[in-house]
Parts: sequence; structure tokens; C-alpha cells
Amino acid sequence: MSRLAPVVIDNGTGYTKMGFAGNTDPQFVIPTAIATRDAGSASAPNLPKKPAFLSSAASSSHLASKRGIDDLDFFIGDEALANSKTYGLSYPIRHGQIENWDHMERYWEQSIFKYLRCEPEDHFFLLTEPPLNAPENRENTAEIFFESFNIQGLYIAVQAVLALAASWTSGKSTDQTLTGTVIDSGDGVTHVIPVAEGYVIGSSIRHIPIAGRDITAFVQQLLREHQEIAIPPEDSLDVARRIKEQYSYVCPDIVKEFKKFDQEPHKYFKQLDAVHSVTQKSYKVDVGYERFLAPEIFFNPEIVSSDFLVPLPEVVDQVIQTSPIDTRRGLYKNIVLSGGSTMFKDFGKRLQRDIKRLTDQRLQTSEDMSGGSHKAKPIDVNVIAHKKQRHAVWFGGSLMACTDQFYSFSHTKAEYEEYGPSICRHNRVFNSLA
Amino acid sequence: MSNTLRPYLLAVRSTLTAALCLENFASQVVEKHNIPEVEAQTTKEVLLNPVVISRNENEQVLIEASVNSVRVSIRIKQADDIERILCHKFTRFLTQRAESFVILRRKPIKGYDISFLITNFHSEMMFKHKLVDFIIQFMEEVDKEISEMKLSLNARARIVAESYLSQFA
Amino acid sequence: MILLEANSYIIEESLLQRFTSEKHEAVDIKLVDFDGVTYHLSTPTSRTELHFSMAAPCFNELVSYGAQDIIQREYGTYLASATEQGYHCTFVFDLEKLPADITALAKKFGMLKRNVFAAPFEKAFKEWETELEEPGTLMTIHYREEEAIYLRANQDRVTVIFSTLFKEEMDRIFGKVFLQEFVDARRLPSIQNAPQVLYSNREPPLEIRHLPNLKDDESVGYVTFVLFPRHFEHPDVREKTISDIQLFRDYLHYHIKCSKAYMHSRMRARVQDFLKVLNRAKPDRSSTAEKKLASGRSFRPSPISLRPST
Repeated sequence: MSRLAPVVIDNGTGYTKMGFAGNTDPQFVIPTAIATRDAGSASAPNLPKKPAFLSSAASSSHLASKRGIDDLDFFIGDEALANSKTYGLSYPIRHGQIENWDHMERYWEQSIFKYLRCEPEDHFFLLTEPPLNAPENRENTAEIFFESFNIQGLYIAVQAVLALAASWTSGKSTDQTLTGTVIDSGDGVTHVIPVAEGYVIGSSIRHIPIAGRDITAFVQQLLREHQEIAIPPEDSLDVARRIKEQYSYVCPDIVKEFKKFDQEPHKYFKQLDAVHSVTQKSYKVDVGYERFLAPEIFFNPEIVSSDFLVPLPEVVDQVIQTSPIDTRRGLYKNIVLSGGSTMFKDFGKRLQRDIKRLTDQRLQTSEDMSGGSHKAKPIDVNVIAHKKQRHAVWFGGSLMACTDQFYSFSHTKAEYEEYGPSICRHNRVFNSLA
Repeated sequence: MSNTLRPYLLAVRSTLTAALCLENFASQVVEKHNIPEVEAQTTKEVLLNPVVISRNENEQVLIEASVNSVRVSIRIKQADDIERILCHKFTRFLTQRAESFVILRRKPIKGYDISFLITNFHSEMMFKHKLVDFIIQFMEEVDKEISEMKLSLNARARIVAESYLSQFA
Repeated sequence: MILLEANSYIIEESLLQRFTSEKHEAVDIKLVDFDGVTYHLSTPTSRTELHFSMAAPCFNELVSYGAQDIIQREYGTYLASATEQGYHCTFVFDLEKLPADITALAKKFGMLKRNVFAAPFEKAFKEWETELEEPGTLMTIHYREEEAIYLRANQDRVTVIFSTLFKEEMDRIFGKVFLQEFVDARRLPSIQNAPQVLYSNREPPLEIRHLPNLKDDESVGYVTFVLFPRHFEHPDVREKTISDIQLFRDYLHYHIKCSKAYMHSRMRARVQDFLKVLNRAKPDRSSTAEKKLASGRSFRPSPISLRPST
């Protein structure tokens, strides 16, 4: 028991996942939100454009007025949302990147001391970053963690790489490779990220503007159109979310699925018990075609969107086709799902089938064009779904932080003092879980 | 403003204004190179005598001028341990962000806390008098900031101690 | 959040989650608390039998001051027959036979570390109750690798000494400022009743000067709390005093870190200010004559950034 478990924190745009390494699930999943006293007043004086000679004087007096410890008066996570009436609520992370370092530093402060309840001086930390994060951000993070918190060591890992590592535990993947395509779909946006040997191929990353939020909105819209009993408007979002999470699945073929539902409605139609949040009356909501239509928007985006029309399998195929040619087979072979919006039943199966179709078709055309003289080796397409998908990034981090390598790959406090924050610009890639 | 600070800053201002007469100058040592001569120290004839302006032994400015570059180094007042560590942290924080400060030198000259290096390219790109203004304002505010940080640290410490001990009362 | 809480939020949450979940899943969770305490939550035998173990680096010392009695007293009904390998005490919950108030149960176990660490304090207060003629025994708890708490009951007071160690220069200086304020704070009329605080840097106080292996270094300091009977006569006050004083080190370090975070945000604001001043030196480029494209047409950067057409 020489070392205490490393702390793994995955700060996402919507939610922060944190806990101790070695566990299979994060101990806390809380919104990345902070409620502060000064949020309203601090931004206000900066807004009006004062003459230049006044502004610095004004801001310094503003600093002087904060001589108390008002900066300790804040809440994070669910408590922040609960206190949003009296405090100013803000989200320090935008699009995966930290926007407000002051708030983020305080967010970490409370995460560590109140939620995780550990002395940062005794621990190593593993943090995550989005792909294509600026090295300056890594430096700033290192500065905060080493100087404010005096942590023992720090490793900053790319989220997509951790998601790949998380898939190693599933039975399907045979070799522990860090080459693969990660489909990360959370609440706001879906990314398709190719990774070769632990390094993200930045130029081929694609974003899809369809994610959890859009699916919920789509279910909500369907309910509004088909439901005979009126769902109270204040609950409709919640009902839609529950239908999405509990009953939705991906079907192999919509037309057949519609037919199945029409022939045996009692077998496929479900009912959801809901309670009116104001009157506490319970009512039932019929769940029908929404069950398979909701996740269908990944495969047929034209049902909801008018400006984004490329189905997910095609995006994945395009991503892999734009990656370096020697990595492509590896990328097809290991397509890993991560994030809550990939949790639909049979999502992986459908994706695998559709991608396989695309690649087979392409091989067929090239074979035909060569007049049958060249036979191509069929491409192995594998979509890997596993149990830890929802918090795959955190879980991958937890796995990595348990290895012996973690300690030798992390940047220690001594190294930080010797070389400065620039040391954290580069983080060595893990190659195995041995 | 105390009575010695004004002449001190005034002296720095006029020396700096005088020193900032820079022009493009190709290196005489290495062909096709154009380096700040004050850093290279290889061509004696283009270096001017360095000037030290000193308010007292803790507060000094060293201005080293040359034909195409000026190096300004500042020793910031540090009365005690707290001010020393705050000053150290603050200058470190600044040099960490030297990228955006353009004229900030990543390492101070030995014996000083922070150094600026202004080359002819900077003075061509930016207004000279405004650059001088910046250095002067920097000197004024650094002192203010450090003493304010010290005050706030003491105030915090007091509140922290009081709120802890008042649990027992 | 100025004060730290005595109970552990993470343990309460983890326990409650297991208590309330309808499906009993296999569990294997390792948790950490302040001062190197570790916990292990697991279901080694059956899914309805939740084991909860704790280990503390100074557990043997705590036991010698009566920690086992406290565990027996507070958590006796849940104590497991066999202690898990690598841990110092183990409790078992039968998830199918939980008491009605599971929140209270989780809260109670959230206080586990606090209660175990209370042992020497309770012992000292008990010793004082016997109306000592001579000063009581000196108790030492090496609760961290290089830091320790010393306790001794006297006729009219109980002395608690923390040895503090700051690994870093900045912490040492900040710590000194903070500790000096702890010493001075008692002058305020409102907290006259607080325990007297003494602080010495490097020099160990008289009570423990005879001990061997005391580190003699600039980074070491000693904080002495002199607790008077009014802090531990009444049972409720006594419990509160124990909770509060235990968290002293964490409280101090938490606030040193918060101050550093605060300094960082000040410095960030100041850097912004300086940059603004410096950027004023750059001539305003937006007002320059409109730029010509190669084709000869004039080009004006649009204020709204155009989205790349897809």
C-alpha cells in the first residue's frame, strides 16, 4: 500500500466524471457547472467599453474589493444547478475546451476536496483532453495542478485514446491495439476520430451535429404528433428522454420494422408510466414507432435535419478513407463506440453491417474495373460495443492509471520543477495494459 | 506617489526613450543573420554603456542599449519572504505567457526579476512612446499588485483562522 | 465552502447507491480519504452481502488508544467476523435486511474515519476526567508519513500538537502567514473562548522536545492547541471539538491551495490588463486603407465569420 490510487477526472462539456483509478465506474458524474457570486458582477464591468485609461484602473479596484474570501462562496455540479437562482451559473468548458480558467481552477478545487475528499499532494492525477487540444491548455492545466494543488504527478490523455483502451476489456477485441476509429457521441455533438498507434489523425476528424439532445427532441416531436393523451408540456422532455433511454433500439430495416409493429402491435407497443410533476397524477404514455425511429436519425439524418444529410456509416467510411492508406485496415477493424448516445441496442450491429456494405461495394467496383484480374482481400469491419461504453473515456483512464506504466509515463512534480509546464505538452502513449 | 518614486520613474522614462533609437542592423559576425546585438554581445562597437537607475538597493532598473535592441531588466521590491515568493510566482506566471507579451524575455538577467527585450522590429511595429508607457506602467503596477496580493493573503488568513476557531467558541 | 465537513461525501454516496439499487450488482470499489485512509467496498461472497473495509496507516497506534472500542461501540452490529486482507477493519451489510433509515446508516459510516481517529482524543479527555495529579501519557499518532499529532492531558487542559510539514517554499511561507493568524485570531473578543493556539517554526514545544527522531528543518513547524475544559466537558461540545480539530491539517492545506488558486486568478486578470496596455502600443490596423485582392477588387473582412459551405 505504498501509493494511493490515482485520481481520474474526465471533464466533459456537459458532465464531469471523476473517481479513483481501479474502479469500473466513476464515483461522481456531475454537471460541469459552477455557480458563483461574482459571475454576474464580474462580467458586467468588462462589458461597457470604457476609455482605455480607465479600464485598468477600474479592474484593479474591482480586484481590490475582493479582498475577502468571496471566491470560496460557490457551488459545483448539481448543487450549482440548484443554486442557480441566487448565484450566477456558468459552464467553464465549451466544446470540450476550457474557456474560463478561474472557474475551472475552483471547480477542481471543490471536486477534489469536497467530492473526492482526498489530499491532492498524495495522489497522481489523470486528466483528459479533447483531440486537437492546444498545448497551451495543457500547460495551463499543469500549472494549476502542480502549483496550486502540489500533486505528485500528472498525465493528460486524449479522450479518444482512452475510449480505445476501454474497449480492450470487451471480449471482442483480441489484441490490445491503439489503432482504431472512435465514435464518441455525447449530448451535444458526435465525433468520429481516427487514432493510429495512439496518435489522433487530426486532419481526418469529422463532427456530426446529431447527438443525444437531437434524439430526445425528435422523440418529443413524434410524441406530440401521435399521442392521443396530452403529455403535460413541462414533462414532455423528460418523458421523451426516458423513452429514448429505456425503450429505443436500432432496427435492421425500417420498412420491415413498421410491418412488424402493424402486425403484432401488442408485442411491440410499450407503455411508459409517467407521473405529472405538478399534480402528481400518474398517466400512461404509449410508445410505438419512436422505439426504432429515434436512433434511426443517425442512419437517415434526413428525417430530422435538412442541412446535414450524410448517414453515420458513410461519415465513418469517409473518415477512414481520408486517413493514411497504411492505417485504413486497422481503422476498419477496430471501430469503438463511446458515450451515452451509442448505447442503443444493436447500434453496433447496424453500423457494422452498413459500413461493411460500403466497403464491399467499393471492392466490388474496383474488381469489376480491373476485369476480374485483381482479387482484393476483403476488408475486416468490426464495430466494438462493450459494457462500459457510457463512461468509456473515464473507464479507459481508470484502466491506464492502474498500470505500472502510468507512473513512469506521468510527469512528476520534480520534473515539472526542473523543466516547467512545457513538459506537459507531450504525454507518452501507453502501449499495453501489462 | 511617494517623493522618490516619481523621479525614479521619470529617469527610467527618459533613459528608455533615449535608448529606443533602434535601427535594423545585420550581424557583422554571421552572414545573413540579424540578431539582437545586446543579446549576442559580439560586436563591441554597437553596444552602448549599460545604465543602472536605482531608487534604492532593492529597486533598480538596468537598461542595456545597442544599435538594434534594448534590454530592460527590473528588480522588484521585495521586503520579506511573502513578497519575495509572490514576486517570484508572479514573474514566473508572466514569463510563462511571454508568447503573447512579445517584448518579454523568457528569462530575466541575473540579479533581476524580470527582463524585457525590445528590438528594432518591435519599435517598427509598435509606437515607441506607448512601449515606454507600458514599461513604466508595468513597474508601477507590479509593486501595487504584489503588495495587494500580500494584503489579501493576510486578510484571507485572518478570515480562515477566525472561522476555524469560531467553531469552538 | 470555507469549512470542510467531517463526514465523507463520497462514502455516503457510494453506500447509498448500493443500498438503494434494486438489482444487487457485484461491487468492487476502492476509495480514499484524507490522511492516507483507504476503503474497499466489495461483494466477495454473495451479491446481497456488501463488505466495507477500511485501512489507515496509523491504525495500530489508534488501536492502542482504544479505537477498537469505539468501532465496537459505534458500528458493533455490522462488524464482520473476519477482517479483509490488507485492511484493518471490515463491516458487513446484508442488503436485504437494512434498517429503515438507510440515509442515517450511510451518514454514520461516512463518519467512520472521524470516529476511528477520535480514539486518542477521547482517551485524553477521559484521562482528564480522572483529575490527574501528573500530566497524562503522551500519545503520538503518525497520521501521515512525516507528520504527527501529539496529545497529552494535563490537570487543567488537554494539549494537542500538530507537527506540520510544507513540501514547497510557497506553501511554507503561506502556511506561516496562516498559522500566525491562528495565533493572533484569539485576540478577537468574539472568539476569546477558542482554544489557545501556539505556533513555533522548527523548534518543538516543550511537551515533545524529549522525543527522538524529530525532524530539524526549516520546513517543519509545530502548532499547539490548548483545549480547556469548556471544550470537552459537555459531551456534545466534545464531539464537535474532536471533529473540528481532526480536520485542522486538511483545513489549513485546503485554504493554502485555495489562496494559491485565488492568486492565480488575480494574476490572470493582471496579465490581461498588461496585455491590454501593451496592445495599445500597436497601431490600429483596422483603419488602414481597404485591401485589394489580386483581381483588383476591394476586400473588406466581414464582421460575421462565414461558415465554410459544406
